[in-house]
Amino acid sequence: MAPRESSHEPTSTPDPVEKGFATLATLRIGVKAFVEKDGEKRKAEILSIQTRRGKPTFYVHYEEFNKRLDEWIPAERIDLSREVEWPAPEKLEKKKAASTVSKSQPSKAETSKVPKNLKRARSKLDREISATPEATSTNLPGKAARPSKASGKENKEHIALVSTEVTDDSTPKADDEEMDLVDVQDAAAAAKAAPPEIYSREDEIEKLRTSGSMTQNQTEISRVRNLDRVQMGQFEIEPWYFSPYPVDFTDAEMVYICEFCLGYFGDVTQFERHRTKCTLLHPPGNEIYRDDYVSFFEIDGRRQRTWCRNLCLLSKLFLDHKTLYYDVDPFLFYCMCTRDEHGFHLVGYFSKEKESAEGYNVACILTLPQYQRKGFGKLLIAFSYELSKREGKLGSPEKPLSDLGLLGYRAYWQETIVDILMDGRTEANVEDLGAMTAMTTTDVLHTLQNLNMLRYSKNQHVIVLTDAVVEQRERQKAKEKIKGRRIIDPDRLQWKPPVFTASSRTWNW
Amino acid sequence: MTQRVTGQRFRQRKLSTKQNLPVLRENEVEKLPDDDAQRHIPKVETGVEKGEEIEHHLQAVISASQAAATGGKVAQLYIPTPEAVASSLQYEQLYPRHFAQPATYIRFSSTVEDCVGCPYCMTSDDMLFLKEMNQRKGRTIQCTEDEFEEVMNFFEETAQTKQPYAAVDNPPVLSYEEIETEFDEAISESSRRFAKDIYEHWKNQRLLTSNRSLMPTLKFETNLETDDSDPYVCFRRREVRQVRKTRGRDAQVTEKLKKLRKELEEARYLMSRVKVREVMARDQLAIDRQIFEQRATVKEAKRKLGIKGDDEDLINQKPAPKPKPKVDSTAVQRGIPGMGPKPQLTRPDGRLLDSDLVSLQEQLAKKEEAINGFIEENLAKHQKWNQGWEDLTWRPITPPLEQAASRSTFRPVTCQQLPTPPASVSSENSGDNLNADQDMNKVEKQNRVVVRYASPPDDVPYPDQRRYRRRKGRGGRIMVDRRGVKRPCLEPIDERVLDRHKYSGDSSEDEQLYFVDPYDNLHIKYRMMIDRQGEKAQGIAQTRRSIGDSNHLHQNHNRSASGHLLPPSNAAG
Repeated sequence: MAPRESSHEPTSTPDPVEKGFATLATLRIGVKAFVEKDGEKRKAEILSIQTRRGKPTFYVHYEEFNKRLDEWIPAERIDLSREVEWPAPEKLEKKKAASTVSKSQPSKAETSKVPKNLKRARSKLDREISATPEATSTNLPGKAARPSKASGKENKEHIALVSTEVTDDSTPKADDEEMDLVDVQDAAAAAKAAPPEIYSREDEIEKLRTSGSMTQNQTEISRVRNLDRVQMGQFEIEPWYFSPYPVDFTDAEMVYICEFCLGYFGDVTQFERHRTKCTLLHPPGNEIYRDDYVSFFEIDGRRQRTWCRNLCLLSKLFLDHKTLYYDVDPFLFYCMCTRDEHGFHLVGYFSKEKESAEGYNVACILTLPQYQRKGFGKLLIAFSYELSKREGKLGSPEKPLSDLGLLGYRAYWQETIVDILMDGRTEANVEDLGAMTAMTTTDVLHTLQNLNMLRYSKNQHVIVLTDAVVEQRERQKAKEKIKGRRIIDPDRLQWKPPVFTASSRTWNW
Repeated sequence: MTQRVTGQRFRQRKLSTKQNLPVLRENEVEKLPDDDAQRHIPKVETGVEKGEEIEHHLQAVISASQAAATGGKVAQLYIPTPEAVASSLQYEQLYPRHFAQPATYIRFSSTVEDCVGCPYCMTSDDMLFLKEMNQRKGRTIQCTEDEFEEVMNFFEETAQTKQPYAAVDNPPVLSYEEIETEFDEAISESSRRFAKDIYEHWKNQRLLTSNRSLMPTLKFETNLETDDSDPYVCFRRREVRQVRKTRGRDAQVTEKLKKLRKELEEARYLMSRVKVREVMARDQLAIDRQIFEQRATVKEAKRKLGIKGDDEDLINQKPAPKPKPKVDSTAVQRGIPGMGPKPQLTRPDGRLLDSDLVSLQEQLAKKEEAINGFIEENLAKHQKWNQGWEDLTWRPITPPLEQAASRSTFRPVTCQQLPTPPASVSSENSGDNLNADQDMNKVEKQNRVVVRYASPPDDVPYPDQRRYRRRKGRGGRIMVDRRGVKRPCLEPIDERVLDRHKYSGDSSEDEQLYFVDPYDNLHIKYRMMIDRQGEKAQGIAQTRRSIGDSNHLHQNHNRSASGHLLPPSNAAG
């Protein structure tokens, strides 16, 4: 708890941390050690330990890396020649933490102070909740002996922001320019003024019950990944995050997912048998958009419960903040597919509340990893705004955004706004820009500000089309000329905003 | 929040989102980037969680793009993600190319459950078992994979319905007998053959998974305390929202839905019964056909053996003509030499041969008899009820039925009403009489009594009294007026003839006729009262009466006799 409390100052560790040399035998959950990652040493926290084929393996989280890069590593990659940090002893809840977890991410807690008792209550909850998956995967004798819990991650060695030293080797490259996919998660209210951490678990669940598809809860998002590999369509994918697929799959080497019905199988024979019987060739709903590149289907969570559940389980593998706590009834799912003779291949989707109190036009949005970096994310986002235009509403994605989500949205917003400003107009106001694009005023401001386009000159605010922005757009256009531009054509959208009656709202959609 | 910069000469205005702002190129603005300007615009949140916002790769990309936006040249960066690689599975086999895209947008509402067939999918263990089992079975009875899955699925579903809380209370694996009782149309006949064999395998598999479902399933809420902390429990139901004021209407809706559901169930039940019926009809047709063919064989055989068959046999093979059941049964009983008892003891329509045909006439006769009996019985009852009572409702609206009964004891009376004090009785009178009552004479000559009186006796009901009057018409015609004659209809009465006179009278149907007995004591008293009032009135009454009488005689004689005298009503008396 202590480290977390102080972590709002990322560059120092004000609390003394117990350091020392460790041996393989003394490593335990919560220990932070230097681990080799892509040729460099990074500090990483051990989240889980398992014995595989007689050798201990460690599930580690690299500090300042997204959790999707957490991984199982052999002992050899841990640098025992350097000192490790021992987890802070748990003062209060030692006894309860029999089988424990691990890390809770650097969270909002870092930037704001929270009354201690509140935090305590929360971290206790966290632990209890996250303990379960752990129990299934780790079963080390040493663990029980020294129950420990690192309740916070320390942010020493905070890396200066400017570094461009991103190691690119691990990054599959594709055409630049196109935005990455994008998973946006939403947790209602995350972006709201109130600091999210004062949500109690109960508050959050109530919030989730009435709206939204995602969570602020640290425990929800700090679990050890439970699936090793996933086979879907022509691809094998490495999951990014925990997803509540059947517990039995934890042991499966590979989970097979039917590309059309999204059913899941732990056994290849079962999967092959299933494929001989499954007659679905596209998402089970109405096609509402078709051009020569992609199609969109609208699926009602209530009517296609099984399919939508399957979709959520799948997308949870790649969306950290998505919660499957409640059922899918209050959502519509807009699924983007490419077509060939095999059928419609699901490429990505976004979900949308049937009625959003906060005015969100997207709940979760995801391009499946095997299709990322091909420009699909931008199409998904564009489509979500196209629906908002048809509804005559302004929309914004539910928060929090993921890192990829933020980048994807920023790229889309930039392109959209810059295009409008470059049509030769001499004046523009923020609200009109929003109305033309179905973007909220906040998002328009965010974009202009982020691009340094809002300035104050001669006693008034002005919008500046900076040379860099213009140049960037020109380069992009040149590229589009060569490769073709993929856009959403509003004329091909055959869609009316679905109407729901008061009684359907009352009766759970 | 923002500090006033002291060097600022003008107060900056707040950014207005409604106001038009000039759009400028960079070269049109002063070069001096005014760092302070940004501060006056509220900082917009990125929307990324604070804890993740600082992540290394994200910051790297953001700063790179910021650098790009501010003019720097930076290589495109990506946030690294775990890899997705091509799979080694035989995609072409698993996902055959048989999709043809329709010209119009797809509209589709089937669910996953509709599209995936049998939900149970064989594991490799099942494959091994099935192979072994089929080897044991021999070539003729082989269990297919589909049948195997059907059986397994049936076991799984039965277990699920019989032990819905298996996850909580750990019951023993269902026994085969328990499952067997559940066999229904969900499991086909062909699959049932293997159920027993597969059961052992299923049971073993269930035991391996401590009696949990064989197909991995998601964890749903069990309403136990542990639910909330179990990360595998997902897709909880959202509790129904607070009941609102519309409750009454909602309840109505629920009722309607319930009713609808019930009706649908009933319809479904009907359909299933119809299905059963049709299946039976089909079976029956098949049997009929078999009978027919076997008969044909018999015929064939008889021919071959030179047995002189009756043609009856051949006839029998067609549906027996309905009016001749006896022939059928005798033919059957006679049988064919050399053959066992004939199987066709029933007619093709399924009835026993010796069950007599019911003829329509008999049925009708029976019915009629029943009706008559009922009427007679009621009649007798009425008479009994009325015994000892005096009927003061002299003419009920419905003519009394007693009349019919009294007909037998009717004594025909030939009476002559003498309009004036009796003069001499002329011989023609009796002759006229005879002519008039010729038919009666024939029948009841013995009983005939001729009474001559000036006014009808009191004790005989007025309508039953026959009265005659002879008068002379123009040109010396002699007319006999009759009244109260009910001639039994011995000769057939032509309806059309009767009808002919129906409207010939001058009384229209609208006109109400009051039946009045002018010789009733009451009426006599009435007339006497009128008499006392004056001769004139009496005269009028007389005239009217005679007009009424003659009037009546020209009417259809089937009608009850009536006068047109306007009387005091009986009730008044």
